[in-house]
Amino acid sequence: MHTSQLANPLATVAQLESSGSQLDGIPADLEDSIRFAGARLTQTAGILLRLPQEIIAQAIIVFTRFWIGPEGGSLIQYGAEQVSASSLYLMAKLSAYPKSPRSIINVFAYLDSFPSTFIDAEKLRSKDAEAYFMSEGPYQARRAILLRMESQILKTLGFQLHVSLPYTLCITYLQTLDVFTTHARASDLAKRAFAHLNTALLSPQLLYLTHQPPCLATAAIYLAAKEVGIKLPDADWWEVFDTDREELGFLVVGLLSMEGFATEEKAKWEKRKVPMTVDEVEAEVERRRISNGEE
Amino acid sequence: MAGKSRWADDEEDKALEAQRKKEKGEKKRAKLEKQRQLEEEVRAKEEEANHPAKRRKLSPSPEKDGSREESRELLRFETGGWGPCRHVNNFETLNHIEEGSYGWVSRAKETATGEVVALKKLKMDYLNDGFPVTALREIQTLQESRHRHIVDLREVVMGDTLEDVFLVMEFLEHDLKTLQEDMAEPFLASEVKTLLSQLASAVDFLHDHWILHRDLKTSNILLNNRGTIKIADFGMARYTSNPPPTNLTQLVVTLWYRAPELLLGTTTYDIGIDMWSIGCIFGELLTKEPLLQGKNEVDELSKIFELCGIPTEESWPGFRRLPNAKGLRLPRDNKAKGSIIRAKFPFLTNSGAELLSSLLSLNPDRRPNAKEMLSHPYFKEAPKPKSEAMFPTFPSKAGQEKRRRRASPNAPKRGDAPGISDVDFSGIFANREEEQSGAGFTLRMV
Repeated sequence: MHTSQLANPLATVAQLESSGSQLDGIPADLEDSIRFAGARLTQTAGILLRLPQEIIAQAIIVFTRFWIGPEGGSLIQYGAEQVSASSLYLMAKLSAYPKSPRSIINVFAYLDSFPSTFIDAEKLRSKDAEAYFMSEGPYQARRAILLRMESQILKTLGFQLHVSLPYTLCITYLQTLDVFTTHARASDLAKRAFAHLNTALLSPQLLYLTHQPPCLATAAIYLAAKEVGIKLPDADWWEVFDTDREELGFLVVGLLSMEGFATEEKAKWEKRKVPMTVDEVEAEVERRRISNGEE
Repeated sequence: MAGKSRWADDEEDKALEAQRKKEKGEKKRAKLEKQRQLEEEVRAKEEEANHPAKRRKLSPSPEKDGSREESRELLRFETGGWGPCRHVNNFETLNHIEEGSYGWVSRAKETATGEVVALKKLKMDYLNDGFPVTALREIQTLQESRHRHIVDLREVVMGDTLEDVFLVMEFLEHDLKTLQEDMAEPFLASEVKTLLSQLASAVDFLHDHWILHRDLKTSNILLNNRGTIKIADFGMARYTSNPPPTNLTQLVVTLWYRAPELLLGTTTYDIGIDMWSIGCIFGELLTKEPLLQGKNEVDELSKIFELCGIPTEESWPGFRRLPNAKGLRLPRDNKAKGSIIRAKFPFLTNSGAELLSSLLSLNPDRRPNAKEMLSHPYFKEAPKPKSEAMFPTFPSKAGQEKRRRRASPNAPKRGDAPGISDVDFSGIFANREEEQSGAGFTLRMV
């Protein structure tokens, strides 16, 4: 159970090959959609809760770990929305910014009130949040679920909550590359790199579960430098940051594929909601079964 | 579309870079070859000069050099993964060891391997906020603390419900408190030194990793039969920062080991509170008796001032501004002010007394940190620390018998805070005032 500030526990091959949901008959593409929507939900809720991005990122990684592998949680058993809420609650509790069950539940109820999963950022603030205050009865019920799910996450992960993040490394690497003193647009580069690191949290390729923070930071810098047009040293500089060419290439391709994936997901669900509860998942599986039978 | 062109860019770039790398590699090889030839020429000349053996040793083989440069070594981590908690019925309870403030500990055997472990069942008393944050911190800090002198957390297992949580830890035969109760004589000076330096190295590791233990005491220090101690019970531990977080609870550390700034109600504190506890443990190892056995917060503070002297604005700037210092009435008599540590430990060497006094500085900023402590002359002077292999062994209470328990306070509990701020320290020197009123000094500090 050793932990390091520079490294994360990674998913095993067996964990990547199968999942509790797939064993329960959930199609892999539906699982990808729900995991993506759940990670985005965690990010959005975290912003509304005014949590620092580090805590949100940790919660998304814990959320993602929960579903992985044959012994991971199954969507037939646990709703993605609940796992998202409890991941945030748990990681915030361990941080310097704990949030009360009441805040978490209100925010998730608010986000649930939107008719579609893919809402614009402007719309997010268009509603009056206070209108979605929970009355005592439903609140107590949700609270019990929130706390129960918290323990279930701990059990499923074997209490492995350690998450190291690449953000600070990314800045350190940019400083090492002497970017800030030599390029006028260095802060654009840093912002792009951070944007890639944030996007990678949502990756269906589970980049944070398969690659270590130094490699993620290096790949984000490599790609961002190309986009911003800053020339980095004419050598295998990524090796200084313990990333080999092959891993760098894989991660860059993974980061680049995110835009296409997100566009496809948005088109796929259009104005509909991605099923985030056990009941909704069952209904969706049923719907697919019927429409496949009719064809 | 944009994505595609970037794709192409990337591929092209890679190809280009590969090409460039290849060219560079070829250049390098050519250069090395040239160098090798040069060196061979030199060597040939030297061989003519009749110093073959000696020279050959000095010039490394160029082939080796070349290959070393081509495959660079990258840092790789062995970090393990995760899987669901196993069931506690993989373990078979052997005997009960102890009930602490945060859980029950028993000795158990893993059925599959026969290995003996310590099994700690977490108390889940405070379920209002879900899984107790103290338990989460205990697990988190223990997971990060892989050190020779910190107890090893193997895994966390669960029972039939989500409320049954057990920590599986390595089993050690003794804890220092119970052991000392059964010893006829205190540890030898050389043994105290060994124990203390082990303790300091573990605390140094914790502080290096931004962890405050917050409950160091002899009953939380385990000892095996090979002279090795390990710190246990991280139920109070938490991460700290620089500057230290504000609004920490002052309800930490068992009363007898609690630093004066905590008793005075500070909510911002740092590694100094652990160093104070080490000072208390040092004193206890020397005499076999807990050093400052206060009956309550007020009594503890008065015992501290009796031993270490009365703080002044010079020795501890700002202590008057601590929340509980307002009602504090201190004697102004010079005689009552000084520390009596030197006198209390007549058999301790001067440097030992100096170390103990510095650990028990009332002003937390004057206490040494664990690293400074380890380089103190006390550990270098005679008698030298006893080698662990030469440590005596003792019959293990935890291993076999039910233990005799002596009354001693436990770590404070959450919700235990019946307004520590209400504690009235004004009577702390009340008796003394009566005794010495004839001598004509004022107890009020103005």
